[in-house]
Amino acid sequence: MGARSELREMARGFRWGRRPMVPRSAEPYAEEAFDEGFPTDWARTEVGIAARQTILNGVMHPLVRSQVSMRVYGLDNLADVRGPVLFYSNHSSHLDATLIMSTLPDRFQRKTAVGAARDYFFDVWWRQAFTALVYGAFPIDRAKGGRGSIDKARELVRAGWSIVVFPEGTRSMDGHMQRFRHGSSRLALELNIGLVPIAIVGAFQAMPKGKWWPREGRPVVTVRYGRPLYPDQGETHQQLSLRMQHAVSLLFDEDRTTWWASLQHAERDETPSLLGSPGPAWRRAWEGSRPVPRRGRPRAWE
Amino acid sequence: MPRPGFVLEVDERTPPLIVHEGEGYRMQKFPLGTRVIYPPDALPGLRDLGAQIRHALLHPVGDSKPLPELLFAGMKLTIAVDDISLPLPPMVTPDIRQRILEHVIELAARAGVEDLEIVVATALHRRMTAEEIRRMVGERVYRSFWPKALYNLDAEDTANMTIVGQTDQGETVQMHTRSATSDLIVYVNINLVAMDGGWKSTAIGLAGYESLKHHHNVNTMLHSKSYMDPRPGHSAINDSTTRMGHVLRDKGVKIFQIESTLNSETFPSQLSFLNKREWEWSAKDQAVMMAAKKGNDLAPPRVRREFFRRIEAPYKVTGINAGEVEEVHRRTLENLHRQQLVEVRGQADIAIFGIPYVGPYNVNSILNPILVHCLGLGYLFNMYRNQPIVREGGVSILYHPVPWEFHTIHHPSYIDFFEEVLADTTDPKEIEARYEERYARDPWYVHLYRTSHAYHGVHPFYMWYWGAHGRDHSGDVIFVGGEPKSVARLGYRRADSLRDALEMAKDTVGSSPKITYFHAPPIMIADVR
Repeated sequence: MGARSELREMARGFRWGRRPMVPRSAEPYAEEAFDEGFPTDWARTEVGIAARQTILNGVMHPLVRSQVSMRVYGLDNLADVRGPVLFYSNHSSHLDATLIMSTLPDRFQRKTAVGAARDYFFDVWWRQAFTALVYGAFPIDRAKGGRGSIDKARELVRAGWSIVVFPEGTRSMDGHMQRFRHGSSRLALELNIGLVPIAIVGAFQAMPKGKWWPREGRPVVTVRYGRPLYPDQGETHQQLSLRMQHAVSLLFDEDRTTWWASLQHAERDETPSLLGSPGPAWRRAWEGSRPVPRRGRPRAWE
Repeated sequence: MPRPGFVLEVDERTPPLIVHEGEGYRMQKFPLGTRVIYPPDALPGLRDLGAQIRHALLHPVGDSKPLPELLFAGMKLTIAVDDISLPLPPMVTPDIRQRILEHVIELAARAGVEDLEIVVATALHRRMTAEEIRRMVGERVYRSFWPKALYNLDAEDTANMTIVGQTDQGETVQMHTRSATSDLIVYVNINLVAMDGGWKSTAIGLAGYESLKHHHNVNTMLHSKSYMDPRPGHSAINDSTTRMGHVLRDKGVKIFQIESTLNSETFPSQLSFLNKREWEWSAKDQAVMMAAKKGNDLAPPRVRREFFRRIEAPYKVTGINAGEVEEVHRRTLENLHRQQLVEVRGQADIAIFGIPYVGPYNVNSILNPILVHCLGLGYLFNMYRNQPIVREGGVSILYHPVPWEFHTIHHPSYIDFFEEVLADTTDPKEIEARYEERYARDPWYVHLYRTSHAYHGVHPFYMWYWGAHGRDHSGDVIFVGGEPKSVARLGYRRADSLRDALEMAKDTVGSSPKITYFHAPPIMIADVR
């Protein structure tokens, strides 16, 4: 190996210029006690809420609208819903949380917090402060099965807060949905609260993992809210997770066809799966990044 | 309290890990999920070593009187010491043997002892040079006794070797006559690995071929699982040695055993990164590692060898016990395990070992291909208790360049063994049956052993047997970076990189094997449950 490639290997392996990290299995044993880390409660005070709504509605929403062509459907499904609930959606872009938070009706927007990955969003102070302020976020520990974070979520729900979660745990690499983890279904079962499915279509095409700004040309992004699900008597968290996953698939189908057609597909058990085909990685990425067609009359120059 | 050893699971945060490969090392990225066994951190050394040694001599353990009570005017006293094969690498001076010897000799002088000889218990190892002995025992002892009363054992000097008796299994117990007829033998040991010490010190160290052939053979080695686990029933070689020790005891040979254990500070402060876990390397450690590696890679072989030869380990003593052999050794092993034992759950399909530059038989010398085999499949492979790190039929991957290179003075019989014996067969049993006796009795090798600084003619056979269990247990053995011709002569396969080696291993263990990397040195023992 040449000196340059050795140096590159070392730089990559030892994370030069970034925070040094200890391999997970080498981390010293810590008691289960949840380390809250960066305090976020201040962001959920009345002042915090007012500041958040100002930023979301005054800055983030117009900014996102200026960069993507945003369509929002299904908010009428929330008309009869009383909080707190768990909002959940597929996750393929950093736009997702902003899209949800900035499109929620005011009564939900006031008291909704986003569960954000501790290892990503809660590492340096400015990112922690931004995430907490703009999204009312609290940290979720992905590596430890999120047990500590469930305590925080439970506490918030009991205080009347709705929560936004992404049960896939991380953004999709290829635009397809990944298997849901069970943390949110466990929580919903335990607290017996509703789960509102949200399908976000086109965010991967607009700003996939690895990009920090939406691509040019105001790509279409659709946020589609569904009817809330409620845990059934005797349902296991695995069953509930599957039902949650299916609800998002239905919304995708509805977006692709019509509400009526999606219902018929569901009836015949023909709702297309969002998990993608099991083929090679490039095919999944290829399918997942297929541009979302615009609706309505094509613009003059298209 | 230093941290115990542990098993790391390689994840995406894990930096490349250091792997020793002869006179050099490389940074290796391991597949995700690879388990890496790390030794415990170094234990602190004993404070006021002199007082500790005095205490051990005055308060012996087991059924033994304090040393001063065993010494009297007019007695015949023989002190035996371990040879240059311990410790590895040689420790900074003063060597612990010097420290102990000075105390023992002081007591002997005070008791009016006149007939005192010090013998280096080399058995069939090479004679140590005067300079090596001076470094080991210190100027004062050297000047007082060398060469008449401080000498290397000559196990081929038939006039000065005695048959003490036979065990109930017909094993001949041979011993250095002077030692066997002394009023007292004081044995000064360094217990670096679990195989050392106990009855091995006297029953092997002061014996010759007539005795050694009973346990240094293929059958015994195949039934020593492992020879680093001296509990009765686990190691046939240790059981045999114990039987011989009991013959010595029953025949009235009086032994006062002094054993010492060392911590794991193997590398000097300039190379301290080698004692640390990689993710704890500071920027300085990383810079020193890269500079040392680059310098080493670019240096001519002679310079590189000299650099490594000069490494002195800043070992600290973690325990001294003296008195009756078995009780002393029991306590020694407790101390040793405190420093070296690491619990590992389950065996692996592939075990990976980095072979360092030095083993017991190439201090100030060359690690030739046969010694590479012995250090890899003998020593490193056997660093386990209960069951081997790799499952039966699994693959052992070893890192070493395996150059076709021999030290002509130290290892003459190795050259012929490699050229003649291994060219014919690599099967240990066949080698033993067809060639051992001839090499053991060859007058030229005997002459070189006695008068030069050559290992005995039979020694390369023992090295080959030493790896017999590892060889027998592994379904395949692959050397990463090994010289094709010499690896082929050893009967193994070679690969350019770990990736290639894992690809080759697929034939034996399938495409998703469990991999374990044994991150040594420092020395440790994997307690595989």
